[in-house]
Amino acid sequence: MSAAMSTTAVTILKCQACGALDPGPRDICPQCHASAFQPHSVSGDGKLVSWTIVRRPPTAFRSEGEYGVAVVRLDAGVTVLGRIGMSDPDLAPGTRVSAAGMHKGVPVFDLA
Amino acid sequence: MRDVVITGIGSTKFGKHEGRGLESLAAEAASAALGTAGVDRKDIGALYLGNFVAGPLCGQEVLAGIVADEIGLGNVPCTKVEGACASGGIAFRHAVLAVQSGLCDAAIVVGVEKMTHASGGQVTQALNCAMDNRSDAPSGLTFPGLFGMAWRIHAAKYGTTRDEVSSVIIKNKANGLKNPLAQMGATLTHDVIRQSQPIADPLQLYDCCPVSDGAAALVVVAKDRARGAMDLPIDVLATAQTRGSARIAGHEEVVSFEATVRAAQNAYAAAGLKPEDIDFVELHDCFSIAEVIDSEDLGLIPRGQGAKWAADGRTAVGGRIPINPSGGLLAKGHPVGATGVSQIYEAVLQLRGQHANQVNNARFGMTHNLGGTGIACTVSILGRPDA
Repeated sequence: MSAAMSTTAVTILKCQACGALDPGPRDICPQCHASAFQPHSVSGDGKLVSWTIVRRPPTAFRSEGEYGVAVVRLDAGVTVLGRIGMSDPDLAPGTRVSAAGMHKGVPVFDLA
Repeated sequence: MRDVVITGIGSTKFGKHEGRGLESLAAEAASAALGTAGVDRKDIGALYLGNFVAGPLCGQEVLAGIVADEIGLGNVPCTKVEGACASGGIAFRHAVLAVQSGLCDAAIVVGVEKMTHASGGQVTQALNCAMDNRSDAPSGLTFPGLFGMAWRIHAAKYGTTRDEVSSVIIKNKANGLKNPLAQMGATLTHDVIRQSQPIADPLQLYDCCPVSDGAAALVVVAKDRARGAMDLPIDVLATAQTRGSARIAGHEEVVSFEATVRAAQNAYAAAGLKPEDIDFVELHDCFSIAEVIDSEDLGLIPRGQGAKWAADGRTAVGGRIPINPSGGLLAKGHPVGATGVSQIYEAVLQLRGQHANQVNNARFGMTHNLGGTGIACTVSILGRPDA
């Protein structure tokens, strides 16, 4: 995927009582304990915390073959798990990435 | 709170036990522990059993009561404890608490798992139950994947190399060769490790512990009731348990587990000891890089230096802080629910001076058992009575 591709928004949770953001899913706000989370869209831009390529998937993902998984710290201040392309084995933690699409409900990241 | 000692210990060989059930493995370990504990079966007031995946892999639950029945205990409370890979360590802690508090004078701990009959995909799927299925599992992450990511951060922050991490494997596999109960002792070279198949980059095959069957057991007794013990009773100086983040995203850094850091702090405080007092540690090396991270989280090695210390030989038997003289999970094996109990079995042998890979003059030993993505941890400190 090309670096020029526009960023896909990532849907997280925002507490309507205290404003805390959370990657979710979750019912009760860990900050204020209110049950007032609502879906909230944030930019899919962020920094790569780390990533791996899963070469031996669990049964539920076997049909997908090998795939990349990443932990990304979004610029919104929330850390999420997602997929990442497998093209560059030397991607370093800290590299800028952005969500380029969704796969089965999780964001798919690519180089920003 | 009463002082508690371990008087009886037992462990099956770890590995592939074809045709033998969970109950049979558990009974072998428990009978061995009861045989030397100096406690009658009728005086065992409680059983705590560590197990993680008997449900999905064997279709068997209520194991605690089944094992009690198998070994001929009375109608005492029997409790199965589950905390993923920390199940055994948590079971041990609960048995210690029961005796410390005076609920009973003696309790038995059994850890057991049977895994090798299942396919690789089934095992991975079952172990993935230890993730938060709402937040982490939908990405397709696996446990090797988590530790692969942790390795990448460790390498970026501290310059840790493939060969330095391999030194952990070479050491533990060599230790395993000396342990008659180990599943997979071996003499390995850096080349062989480098050429092994990739599992979850940068993790390769030899970075991962094997899939194992096995059981271990301990009898814990109030110190003032331990007079009949046939072997040296070993003091339980501390047994700490903590919770870490339920989700990977909740860890401050994916290169340290706060549950380990806090459990270690609590254990040192309870025992009145410092990291430099610890003579050896049996820690949770489910993956090579896990040993590196654990040893730093436990305060035994400066942050970032774990793999370098292994490469320098400082974590070998005879080194400054021997790590996993039993061979650890990498070589003794990792029958998940049995592991935390097995670590204490190995530590007791060391403190009695009876281990096949003995640490010279071991007085204080530590065990560390980590579950899930760092959600559950136990750290225990054991001591020789004359220490």
